[in-house]
This record gives sequence, C-alpha cells and structure tokens, in this order.
Amino acid sequence: MNIITCFKVVPEEQDITVKPNRDISFEKAPMTISAYDLNCIEAGTQLAEANGGNVIGISVGAKKIDDSKLKKNVLSRGPESIFMVADDKLENIDTYQTANALKAVAEKIKDYDLILCGEGSADLYAQQVGPQLGQLLSLPAINSVSKITLADGKAIVERTLENELETLEISLPAVISVTSDINLPRIPSMKQILAAGKKSATIWSAEDAGIGNLSATLGVIETKAPEQMDRKKDIVQGDSEEAIKSFITKIQEVLK
Amino acid sequence: MSDDRFDAIIVGGGIAGTVTAYLLAKEGLEVMLVERGNYAGSKNVTGGRIYSHSLEKIMPGFAQEAPVERKITREKISLMTEESNVTVEFSSTRLGEQGSDSYSVLRGVFDQWLASKAEDAGVQMVTGIRVDDLIVREGKVCGVIAGEDELEANVTILADGVNSLLAQKLGYRGELAPHQVAVGVKEIIELSAEVIDNRFNCREGEGTSWLFAGIPSAGKVGGGFLYTNKTSISLGVVSTLSELIKANKTLPQMLEDFKSHPSIEPLLKGGKMMEYSGHLVPEGGFHMVPKIIGDGVLVVGDAAGFCINLGYAVRGMDFAVGSAECAAKAVLKANKAQDFSAGFLQCYQSFLDESFVMKDLKHYRNFPHFLEETPRIFNGYPGMAADIMTDLFVVTGNPPQPMMKMMMKHVKNMGMLNIAKDGWKGVRSL
Ligand SMILES: Cc1cc2nc3c(=O)[nH]c(=O)nc-3n(C[C@H](O)[C@H](O)[C@H](O)COP(=O)(O)OP(=O)(O)OC[C@H]3O[C@@H](n4cnc5c(N)ncnc54)[C@H](O)[C@@H]3O)c2cc1C
Repeated sequence: MNIITCFKVVPEEQDITVKPNRDISFEKAPMTISAYDLNCIEAGTQLAEANGGNVIGISVGAKKIDDSKLKKNVLSRGPESIFMVADDKLENIDTYQTANALKAVAEKIKDYDLILCGEGSADLYAQQVGPQLGQLLSLPAINSVSKITLADGKAIVERTLENELETLEISLPAVISVTSDINLPRIPSMKQILAAGKKSATIWSAEDAGIGNLSATLGVIETKAPEQMDRKKDIVQGDSEEAIKSFITKIQEVLK
Repeated sequence: MSDDRFDAIIVGGGIAGTVTAYLLAKEGLEVMLVERGNYAGSKNVTGGRIYSHSLEKIMPGFAQEAPVERKITREKISLMTEESNVTVEFSSTRLGEQGSDSYSVLRGVFDQWLASKAEDAGVQMVTGIRVDDLIVREGKVCGVIAGEDELEANVTILADGVNSLLAQKLGYRGELAPHQVAVGVKEIIELSAEVIDNRFNCREGEGTSWLFAGIPSAGKVGGGFLYTNKTSISLGVVSTLSELIKANKTLPQMLEDFKSHPSIEPLLKGGKMMEYSGHLVPEGGFHMVPKIIGDGVLVVGDAAGFCINLGYAVRGMDFAVGSAECAAKAVLKANKAQDFSAGFLQCYQSFLDESFVMKDLKHYRNFPHFLEETPRIFNGYPGMAADIMTDLFVVTGNPPQPMMKMMMKHVKNMGMLNIAKDGWKGVRSL
C-alpha cells in the first residue's frame, strides 16, 4: 500500500507583517507546512500504521520550498520519503497548474494506491487542488472527508455535512481531501526527528518532472491588508462605579 | 555507531549548547543537540550585547558572517531619577578594535545562525523536544529521556540555561533562591536604521550601549538597559528577585515607566513593539557555581551559573562560549582516553580555571554582594547627581552659590563617610 500525501509550503502565518502602506511583508516569515496538510500527512501515516504500507510526501512550488528544516519536519511525521518539484517557474501558479504539477509527480512515482490532500491551503484555501488532481488522473475524487477506513481495494469515508454524516465507499486508487477534524496531528518524538534526518528527499526541476513548459498564468498586481480603523485612544481608568458607567456609555454610543 | 547511541548529547540550543556541539562535531564526534524550542534561540532572551573575544577564538572573523546587529562604539551610563537623567558618555574607536569589539545581537537570529554552523559541522539537531530526564545508572549519566524515547551517549552536556531542572534532578544544585537570580523584562521596538543613526548619533552599522541605574529598577538593585540593533532597539529592566519583593512596583510597570521617562520617550517615538519577553538571570556569580562535573556529565553556560550581573549590566554570553570551549576540550580529551568518569572529566575544571571564565568570575566575586549591601547606588547617588546638575544648570534668578559649596551641600546630605566607604568597598570588590 503506497499512500501519497500532498502538502503545500506556505509562509508562517504569525510572522507575516503588515507595513505602514498596508503592503504585506513575508520578509520575516519562514516557510512552513500548510496547517491543513499536517492533518493530511497524519491521516496517511495513521492509515499506513493500521494497514501496513508506505507514506510518501509530495509538494510543488518555487525553489524556496526546498528547505532542509521543512523537509525534516515532514519526514518526522511519518512519510518515508519526499518528492518535490522546486522551481521558480512554479511561483504564482494557479490551482489547476498545481494539480497538473502534482499529477506529474504522482505519475513519476507510478506505484500508489491512495492520494491524500488537505481540504484547502492555509494561505488561499481555494479547495480546488484535490478535486482537480482526481479529475486529471481520471480517479475518483472526494472532498470534506473526516474519516477514512481501508478495506480491500476500497476506502470507506465519512463526510460531515451540515445536517448529516454521509458514508461513502470508493474504489482505489482515489484522491481524498481531508478536513482538519479527521485527526490531531502528532508532535514528532525525539527519535522520529532523528530518523527524519536519515530519510530521502528527491528534488526535481520543472524540466525533470516533464512540466518545463508550465508558466504562471497569474500575476499579482497588489496585495493589501484591509484598512485599519483608527483607535479612539479613549482610556477609562479605574474600576469605580462611574468608570464602569462611563465605559458602558461609550460603548453604547459607538454601537448606536 | 548504532542509531540510538552518540558520543555526546547536548541539552539546550542556546549559545553554550550550540558552541559545545559545534566544537565536538568539528572534531568528528557523533553529536546530537536537543532544544525544546521550535528553533534554536526561540526561547532565549538576552539584553543584547556579546563581547566578541571568546567566539572570535573559535570562529575567527565571525562578526563578518554572523547576523550581528551593530558594532558598539558608544557607551553611555546614566544615573536616573524620576525627572532627571545624568549621563556619562564614552565613544572611542578603541571600543571597536578586533578583540575588544562587542556587538548588539538578537538571539532569535543569532542562535539560529550558530545552530546552522553546528549542523553544517555534522551535529544532529532535534528541535521542539524537551528533555524530561536523564538516564542514570549507578550514579553515571548515560543519556537523555524525552517522552517515551531514550537515547544514550558517552557524555551528556547540560546547557539548559539558568533554571537547569536537569542539574537539579541530579542533585547538583537546589532550587534557585531569590537572591541568586534576577529577572529581566525586555521589549524590542522597531525603528528604521536611519532614525536610529540620527537619534543615537551613530554611524552606519555602529551602535550604542546604554545602561541606567536608579529609577528604572525603582531604586532597588538592578537597572535599565538599551541597545541599538540594525532596525530596532532592545530595552529592558533587570531586578534582583529578592529586591523585587520589596519594591513598590511590578517589573512590567518599571519597564512601562522607564519607556515613558522624559529622556527615553523621544528616542522611541514612532517605534513599533515587536517582541516582549521575560527571563531569569543567574546572578550569584562565583559563589553560586554549583556542582558541574559528574560521571558522564558536564554543565555549561547559565546552567552552571556562569554569568555576572553588575546590577545594570549582565554578562553571560561570552561565559557561555568560554565554558563551552572548556567543556569541548575536556570531552575530546575524555574521548581519546575513552574515560568519561567524573575523575577524568575534572580536566573541565582545570580548563575553566585557566580560562577567563573562572578568572573573571573570581574577580567579580564580591560584586553582587556589594551591590546588595549598597542600596545608595540605586536610591541615593542618582538623586545626588541630579541635584548637583540641577543647581548647576537651573537658573532661577536667585543668587548663585560658589560651585564647591554647592556640591558639598549635596555630598554632605549623602554623608561624606558613606561615599568614601561605598567607593572603597566598590573598588575592592572589583
Ligand atoms: C534581560 C537579560 C539581559 C542580558 N543581557 C546580557 C548582555 O547584554 N550580554 C551578555 O553577555 N549576557 C546577557 N545576559 C545573559 C545571557 O543572555 C545568558 O548568560 C546566556 O543566554 C546564557 O546562554 P546559555 O546557552 O547558557 O543559556 P540559554 O541561552 O538560556 O539557553 C538554554 C537553552 O536550553 C533550552 N532548554 C532548557 N531546558 C531544556 C530541556 N529540558 N530540554 C531541551 N532544551 C532545553 C532552552 O530552550 C534554551 O534554548 C542577559 C540575560 C537577560 C535575561
């Protein structure tokens, strides 16, 4: 059983800063694994632990995603190996191109039974890549999955819908996108981190992966943070009756 | 070497730990470093200045490559009261000469750089893992325990910082007593390089170290500090724990008041607070050094109490480097002899004794005590200096007094004998 888990590399959210002109700065933000893909990797690892098998982590993106700390992080969470297309041609690609690039990687790996994706990415959360990847590979694709059980040649999955729990059976290989409810990603242990240092990572250029003619269709004109409201800087001090009253009056006035 | 066995395991990815690991791996030892933070430096606080002499020996010319902030070429010391501030300033090209140069640093980036050096040298870095305990067999430390995992090593080095729980577990030291530690709080405030150059009268890449005695620590043992970084200012307050109990203000309040002092506020104007942190400082100095050598184990850096708190300034980073170097030398020697007994590892103590680490700690051994015994430094002299300056410079139209007479009035208030005594004791403790 070979399980491919897809992960996106995104800038660390808490280190993204907004400049005075409302530009977004990624300068101080290191690359990290998109939060929902931690669930995806965990789901793959748990399935391999329960059913036997091998987990492979794959990712596509600009050159900077080939980061040693990040790869070690992924490998400490269960995958035995990583395959990446890291090429600046892949900067700013859209979801369809991402799905195409992932397809190229999956086809190079060839031997797989299941592909897992996160429901959406931590930065854009378009929720497109999983379904598109399934379509491109002509495989059954299903999203919003909160539980997976494997039985010979098929997967039984649960989807939590608004008012009901849907249980479906799909044949393998398939592409499944999982929600963050599916599990609690593990905190890697000392030995797992140590072992990660010895696992293999294969990095391809776009040419290597046979997608050399892929070029970004998206151009970013501008990304701005929303306008901040000016603070009133009206501070009520103390905890006396009057102070509390004045505090409440002020809030009521604003809400009017 | 089997997967689960190392020549050396180092606990703590601060300066002491990363430098020890680097030195051992460079000589070909199998080394693992375990750091509980998500990256080296993520949990570490320092005021901000490293004296380069110790690291320069290990990595010559490091300041060219390392992410240091500014070279300190301007030293200021102030006596501060609520409304006044008397400052002595010293600037000299000699401050920046190789060997006696010092740099402001931000540990988040600096420690990561050191860690990358260690990793390049072959150290296996394990971050995000806290070592919970040590494997001890018949009194010999045999490795580390983290969660369910155990890993063994010939020697384990504790570089886990001021509050070394592992050294406590071994019974090498007790819990920290209030007079053995100070607490520091610090903010990093972002300003552009140009604004900093202008406000602090610095040339590009050069910076100021500024220490304050008096009101910043509410007149108790301690003080304020300010260091200029490339595009930020580190400023904070340190106070001895035993004194903090007696103070009428909390430490965060002291920092707030320090920031809004009329001499400080304009320097920070328009700045944005980027980081707020608090940390302990070992301050007992020479008298506080606990047991640091055992069978299969050595203690380095803050964990060993290698730090001097001069009240307004703390010096620990160069001791962290210095003790790391001594420990690495001892482990390499032990590795050659394949003898990791406490007896053999005593050479760590000899290396320390020969190095600046013990010499400096000894030199300043009575200083912390002197500070605690001499509250006038923090609650008397700043006021006296301010009063003298007030009489000199504040013109009211009242008839002026001869300068000598005016000065003596303030000196007498303090007590001539007290000043002489404090001066004598202070000089002797240095
Ligand atoms: C406010 C303040 C101002 C200072 N100013 C200066 C200054 O200007 N100049 C100067 O030279 N010194 C200064 N110092 C002192 C200096 O910062 C310290 O001496 C120095 O950081 C000591 O380095 P270290 O590597 O021994 O310990 P630390 O830097 O404390 O590193 C210890 C490391 O061990 C890790 N750790 C702890 N326990 C575990 C565990 N169980 N498992 C895994 N990892 C663990 C911690 O996360 C940490 O990374 C200042 C200190 C403070 C608090």
